[in-house]
Amino acid sequence: MASKEGGNGTVGRRLAYVFPHALPVVLAYLVIGIPCGVLEAQIGFGPLLALAFSSTFYTGAGQFMLPQMVLAGMPLPTTIASIVLVSSRQLLYSAGLAPYLGKGSRLDAFALAATVTDESFGVNLDRFAGDAGWDVRDGLLLNLLCMSAWALANAAGVLVGGMVSLPTALMSFGMTSIFVCLLLGQLHDGSTYVAALVSALLVLVCKLADLQGAAVLLGAAGGVVCGLAWQAWGRSGGIRS
Amino acid sequence: MSASQIALTWAVTFAAILSFRTLPLLLLRGRSLSPRVGEALGLIPAAAFAGLVANDLLDPSAIARDPLAAASGLVAAVIVAIVARRTKSLVLCAAVGMLAYALLGLLA
Repeated sequence: MASKEGGNGTVGRRLAYVFPHALPVVLAYLVIGIPCGVLEAQIGFGPLLALAFSSTFYTGAGQFMLPQMVLAGMPLPTTIASIVLVSSRQLLYSAGLAPYLGKGSRLDAFALAATVTDESFGVNLDRFAGDAGWDVRDGLLLNLLCMSAWALANAAGVLVGGMVSLPTALMSFGMTSIFVCLLLGQLHDGSTYVAALVSALLVLVCKLADLQGAAVLLGAAGGVVCGLAWQAWGRSGGIRS
Repeated sequence: MSASQIALTWAVTFAAILSFRTLPLLLLRGRSLSPRVGEALGLIPAAAFAGLVANDLLDPSAIARDPLAAASGLVAAVIVAIVARRTKSLVLCAAVGMLAYALLGLLA
């Protein structure tokens, strides 16, 4: 893997350093973004609008929801509220990355936070935790690479319309697999196992209660609370955390 | 959608999403955090990733409609977990996961 000579590498060296880590997500986005663009074309998006929208909106689940809800005839306020709710899990990403973004400029940190989403959060967290050479600008570049792939794929989807049939369920499972790998990397003691298990169970409960939009946020919040309780119990002399 | 509807949707959702993405950072960055807050932040990745995996794999309506197909996703995820433990490779996990999902889907 290319090195970048610490934090002062050239853009080319930084790109060579970051790109291998972005590649799995970039490839997945290039495939999954196209059907999203196909849907957007059905509600009046052109390729330039899809490109601009995807570069700012940039939340996979929410962006799929918009055309689906519009085509289903849902009222616009309901559509907007649903998208906002399902995107609320982004709060977790900014909070989770905050401990690693203290170094470097405030603008770089803000830009990284503003361009993060599920998959790039996972890869960035993995790099910050495991690679002492990974800095805020590397994280920002990774985000921008992933975002660019998503935006270009959406624009391409608008252009190709329904001409291309892609196995989206299969590519979507590719992203699920990435999350499974990232999850395994975070399980290192009792409290993290408790947090993960409770989070998963709460997501299921939320879905059974028809709270799909807030499921991930509520599940993760509940998981964190239970993980903290486990740690406190360990400190008080209970089962070791 | 009309141009005004697109503009309204874009403006409201973008403002909300940008707030979600940046407010926690603005509130937490540079501050010395209490140990409890630090521990809570440290648990977010495990909880968030587990939530995202569960969100993808656990769909009550899909399970009720086709339990076998839903089970194939779970089995494929277990296979990915084994590969992840051994290799820690995102690319390999994605490739193995899709292969397992495709093969199990054929069997389901």
